[in-house]
This record gives sequence, C-alpha cells and structure tokens, in this order.
Amino acid sequence: MQLVTQYCRVTRTLLSLITLATVAACGGADAPTATDTGTVSANCPGINLAPRPAQLTLSQQTPLALKVLGNGCDTARYQAEIAVRGTIAYTSTWAGAYRQPNVPGNKVNVWDVSGNTPVLLDSVIVAGAITTGDVEVSDDGQLLVVATEYYTGSIAVYSLADPRHPRLISRYSSDQTAPGVHTAKLGRVNGKLYAFLSVDPTGDSNPARLVIVDLSIPESPVPVFTKITGTPYVHDTYQRDGLLFVALWNAGVDIWDIGGGVTGASPDHPVVLGNVKTLNGAAHNIWWYHDAGGSKRFAFVGEEEPGTVPSSSRGDIHVIDVSDLSAPKEVAFYSVPGAGTHNFSVDEVNGVLYAAYYNAGIRALDIRGDLGTCPRSQQDFNAAANLYRCDLRLMGRELATGLTDVNKPVYVWGVKYLNGSLYASDMMNGIWKLGVAK
Amino acid sequence: MAQAIPVVTRADPTATRSALTEGYVSQPMIMAHGSWNWLQAIGTLDLEGLTLRRGELNTGGYGEGYVDRRHPHSYVHQAMLGAAKNVGGFSTSAFVGRGFAPFGSDDPMVRPFEKFPVNHHLSQILERVVAIAAVRRGPWIGELATFNGDEPLGPGSWPRFSRFGDSWSARLTVLPMDGLELSGSVASVKSPEVASGHGLDQQKSSVVARFNRQTSDTWRYAFAEWAHTNESNRGVRANSLSSLLGEAGLCRSGMIGALRLERSDRGEEDQLQDPFRTPRPSSDLSSLGVSRWTILSATLSAPVARAGFVTGRPFVEVERLAVAPGNPPGVFNANVRYGADRMWMLSAGVRLHVGGSMNDRMGRYGVAVPASGMANMTGLANNSGMSDMAMDHASTSDRCSL
Repeated sequence: MQLVTQYCRVTRTLLSLITLATVAACGGADAPTATDTGTVSANCPGINLAPRPAQLTLSQQTPLALKVLGNGCDTARYQAEIAVRGTIAYTSTWAGAYRQPNVPGNKVNVWDVSGNTPVLLDSVIVAGAITTGDVEVSDDGQLLVVATEYYTGSIAVYSLADPRHPRLISRYSSDQTAPGVHTAKLGRVNGKLYAFLSVDPTGDSNPARLVIVDLSIPESPVPVFTKITGTPYVHDTYQRDGLLFVALWNAGVDIWDIGGGVTGASPDHPVVLGNVKTLNGAAHNIWWYHDAGGSKRFAFVGEEEPGTVPSSSRGDIHVIDVSDLSAPKEVAFYSVPGAGTHNFSVDEVNGVLYAAYYNAGIRALDIRGDLGTCPRSQQDFNAAANLYRCDLRLMGRELATGLTDVNKPVYVWGVKYLNGSLYASDMMNGIWKLGVAK
Repeated sequence: MAQAIPVVTRADPTATRSALTEGYVSQPMIMAHGSWNWLQAIGTLDLEGLTLRRGELNTGGYGEGYVDRRHPHSYVHQAMLGAAKNVGGFSTSAFVGRGFAPFGSDDPMVRPFEKFPVNHHLSQILERVVAIAAVRRGPWIGELATFNGDEPLGPGSWPRFSRFGDSWSARLTVLPMDGLELSGSVASVKSPEVASGHGLDQQKSSVVARFNRQTSDTWRYAFAEWAHTNESNRGVRANSLSSLLGEAGLCRSGMIGALRLERSDRGEEDQLQDPFRTPRPSSDLSSLGVSRWTILSATLSAPVARAGFVTGRPFVEVERLAVAPGNPPGVFNANVRYGADRMWMLSAGVRLHVGGSMNDRMGRYGVAVPASGMANMTGLANNSGMSDMAMDHASTSDRCSL
C-alpha cells in the first residue's frame, strides 16, 4: 500500500511538472508572444489567435437602428434569461421577489418569434425552483438546459425533439449544486456536450464553485469536475474552442484549457492558463469574440455592480486582449452613465456586440478592428491601476440604443441576436423583438 | 443570572399571507459577571440556537438569513474580558472578546419589549471579536473599537478571526444630568453579510438619547434614537437605510407599561421557498428595494410573582405595523408578500428569571457603562468588580425590574 501511495505521489508530481512546463511554454515570460503578423504562438499550436485586427476609422454617426417590432408579455412573473433557436425563443423567470402571490420564477416560457410580435406557445414549470436564472439551447438544437436556484440548485434538461413543447428528460442536482445554480452554459469539447454550472455560495463552509457536467447522455448527466472558485462569486462562463473563460467576480476572469490542445487538459482535468483582474472587479459574464477575419484577440467582460431592480444598475463592459493566454490584459472599456451591463450577444459576422443594459435597455457596439489601440484623446487613465484603456464611446463605437423609447420602464436581463433580429428578455415586460437596420 | 421567556405570538398576517400563531422559549440566556483583582469578565450564553431555530415571528424584522422572523443569536452572545484603571485623572478600561462594538444603543433584549425593533441591524453591532478602549472623565465617555466585520452565520458559527481589525466603531457619550445620557456613534463595517469578504461595506451612524430614573418602586424610562446605514461597494453607495425610534416606559406598583414607535427601512432580499428565509450570502450584491416600516408597540407587564428562587413577570404585547415602499421601492410589494400593508402582532408570555433580572446595559463595557446615579459620573467610582458596570434601574428594587 505504501509503495502504491509513493508511486501515486511521484506520478502526480511528474504530471504537475509537465503541466507547469507546458503552461509556462504557452506564453510565459520566455515564450514568443504572438505578434501582429504572427498568428500562432510557436509553443501553442492548439490555439490560433489569428492576426491582430486592423485599426478602424469610424464615423461618429449612429449607423444602426434597433426598432421595436413587438412585445410578448408575461406579467405574472419577472423574466430572466433568453435563448433563441430558429423561430422559437425560450425565456426563464426570476422571483427574488414574487410578482404575484405564491408564484415563483419556476417557469420557462416558449415563444413563437416568427412574426413581429412574440406569441406564447407553451411553458414548462420547473418543480421546486424559485428562480430559473439561465436557459440555453445546445448547439445541435436537441436540448434545452435550465438552471435553478434556491433550494436545491439543479439543472433541468429538456428534449427539444419538438422545440415548441420541451419535454423533461433529466434533472441533475447534488450537494455540489446547492444552494443554487446561477448559470448553466453549454459547450461541446472534442465532440462531447458539457454543461458548465456556476454555483452560488452559501454559509461559511460552502463557497462558490464551478461544476462541469457531462451531458453526452442527457438522460444521465454525469459530473466530471468541481472546483471551488470565485471571490466571492462565480457567475458565468464562456466556452469555445476548448477554452473556458470563467467570471470570478473580484478575482477577475480565468482562462482554462479544457481541451483546446494547449496543455492536453480536458473538462475533467482543466488547467488554468491565465487570469486578468478587470478594473472594479465584479466580473460577471464573458464573450470571447471571433471576428469575421478570424481574429480571436478580444474578449468582453460584463461588470455587475450593485443596483436595484428595476430602477438602477451599474457596471461597465471591459475589453480584454487575450493575445497572450497566460497574461490577458484589459485594453478598453465602455460605460453608460446611470446604468450597468448584463448579458451579451454578438453578431460576429458584422462585428456588433449587443449588451443588455438593465434600466438603460440595450446597447449595440461596433467591435470590429483593433479595440486596444486608440489615440490618447480616446483613452482613459486609471491612476489606481496605472492603466490606459481605450474608451469605446470616445472611439465612436456606440452604434445604437434599444428599448429606450418604449414609454415604460424596462430592465433588460439578456439579449440574443439571430438572423438580423434581436430578442431581449425584459424582467418587467416580457420578451421584445427588435429589427436591426443599418 | 438566567432568563427565559415562554411566549406565544400571533402575527396577522405575516409572510405566509395568513395569520400564524406560534409558541417558543425566547431569549433563554445565562449571564455571569466576575472579577478578580483588576480583571473583569462578562459572559452571556444565549441558547436561542436550541429554542428558536426556525426564528421567532417578528414581522418586519430581518437579518442573518431571516426575514419577518427574528434570528436566533449566537450561543456566545458575549464573552468579554477586561480591566479598568484610573490614569492621570481619567478612568479608563479595555475589553477584548466576543461582544458588542461600541455603536448605537443597547441590545433590545434589555429594553422593555419582547419583540425586537426592525432596526436591530441598523442600531447595534454585536457578536463580533472586538477590542474596545474606553476613557471617561467627568460626564464624558469616549469609546473606540476594532472588530471583525462579518456577522454570525448561525448560532454556533465562529467569527472569522482573520478578519479581526477590518472594521471599527467609535462612540461619544455625555451624561448631562442624573439618568440622562446622550451619545453619538459612527462605525465602518466591512462586508458584514458576505463572511468571506467582498460584500457591501457599511458606514453607520447613530444618535441616541436615553433617560432612566427610578425610585424604590417607580421607574421612568424614555429613549430615542436615529440610526443610519449606507451600504457601499468600493466607496460607491448602493443602499441607504434609516431608522427613527422612540420608547417610553413607566412602572407603578410593580406594573410596567411601555410604548414604542418606530419608523425603519428594511433592505429587501431574495426570497427562498421558506418565505421567512433569505440566502446567506445573496447571489450578488444587488438590492430588490427598500420597504419602510412604521410600527407602534405597546406592552404591559404584571407585577413580579415569585416561586422559590424563580421570579416571573407576565406580560402582553401588541404591535400594529404598517409597511410601504421605501426609497427606492424596487420590486417590494406588500400586498404580494403579505396580502396586506397593515398587520398585527399579539404576544403573551412571562419573563422568567433566576438569580436576578436582566438589567445589564448590554452593549457597553467597563467605564463606558453610565450608572443610574451620579456617583459614577466622575469616573470609575471603585474598582471593586462589576457592581457599577451593570445594575442599572434594578439595583435598588425588583419591583420595577423587567
């Protein structure tokens, strides 16, 4: 037994050394940094970040219009996140406070969005949930996954064989999902579908954590990895190309290799590549942007500062340059006075980021080109961090605002861009469909 | 001294949108004072963790993961060790341990009402690992303390000792005449509701006036306080909560009557399946708004009855509550939560004591305890132990003790 233990220790030590060496080679101090012309770091062939995008000269005019086409109401509950596939949208619901007596946020609405005005087709009730804060459709359109909070946290997995009428096929919860799953993001790694669960903290002995669940057999979700992380929260993740971006609140954003070919890691053995602490902390959500030219240099991080539902919010969009995955850095930001951002959706073909902005509706930003290079007149200097950042507003990248002219208060939780239309889940008023016109 | 209050409360309506009637043993506590040479000790064991796990119906009340129920306090409510000494014409004391930071007013447990006011978490900072220095000269008392910001997570939870020193408070008290004290205090409390840190910080202020005078069989008491708490994240204000509260009490022929009028803000939090619970910590730092509570309370206690070494004082208490959206109102809706915006609470019980009454100035230590008479106003009257640290209005008679 002693020999076996020693063997395991030696093996673990060797594996750790190999991993450390690999990570160091992927952009550490001695590693060649990707340049503006070089697309692939020689030591990290698994991740091709493509050339640095060119600097753009932009007009100061607003070149986009977000026109409201229609609104589908649900006044019994506050809406939460939105997912859209084809002509069907799904909105989850929130009940930090009940909107109607004894009506929790345990419902996922199914909307037909083929016309201008979303029409409620069906809904599902997720038993035991107070809030269904996140909803997502798998990339193949086969599954709908809903995160539930308080108590006990879980994910509910639905078949979308008939996308108009989701059918519950499994429910996963464990002591690791208590007291609530704040978000559940889906992603495919080397052909396998996984859910990435950001779990709320509770008490002193249950800090926030990230749980990765194998959904390759959706009837039988299998947890493959758990890590206590987040200061004090982990609120969201973004998975692409085998990299997992993890929003760790005041600990910033981690980039994990979970199968991107960088370190040989996998979802059950992730390796942390790098971290960036965005200014002000409160890192809440992420979008790693792959532009039409193939560049993958920038990721967007939403900051969620304290606000009051449904009247106020605060928090900027932070742009991080991930050219060096081991040392990402913040290079730009976007701020709306009197409001804070929440979830994003990106039209990558046209280079437009749509951001839910709670009480300020929606903002559309031009994210084409190099976001980290701008003249001094478009920069902001943060003395505490000794950091110059480009101000996307001063760079003329604000394209449009949405839902600011609907003559009633809005509080927009999430947005989804699809095929020329933008869909927004508004906590107060249900689902909106907007047309995007140049 | 030991205390327990068997009590039955009817709350109509409460967070279930219906009336509830429940009975408990509330405030079961054992208090001990001791001194040895220059060393002084105060201990309070609070057994509410055994008797009030579900919380006590207390419409409007909140804190430590409970709402509309009062949370059980920590088993170690106070465990303070200290010393007092005259230094160059000043009376000084220093105390360390787990207890009250010098801020705001006395623990509601030592005031005339069984039900706690809504403003408990605006007006007291308690159950912290605290080090307090106090100095007194003439009618002036100054206190300065440092402590851990995190509030308890449950009756048996330990404070985060690593956070000791991240918060502070200071209180200045003046005793202008016999029985009257005026105080003002400020505090900076780091992340009280997220024990690991990184939650909202609190900047607190309080002004208190207290009058307490008694004879052998009478007692007159008046109390007024204003308390304010700003909650902020990295210096940017997120929430602002205020409270105004007045109490008056009178004892004649052993009967005690008291009135309380309170107007306090309550920050609204996520609700859980159990409508009397909120998540600790919450899933983010946002607020659901503020509710504003206006509460008139009245209590009447019969004279003390004695059976052997146990004394009992039966009482009835009634609260009339009104709640309205505060500023900002957020998504608070009284009619959705309670089915009404006017409520009642009715309680009947008996305060049981063994070995004396619950008359400590819980919330003050050493030379910061103003005595009821003028004897101590010139400083620490003597160093004979705890005699002048505690016994307030009951020191001459039990007839008007709570």
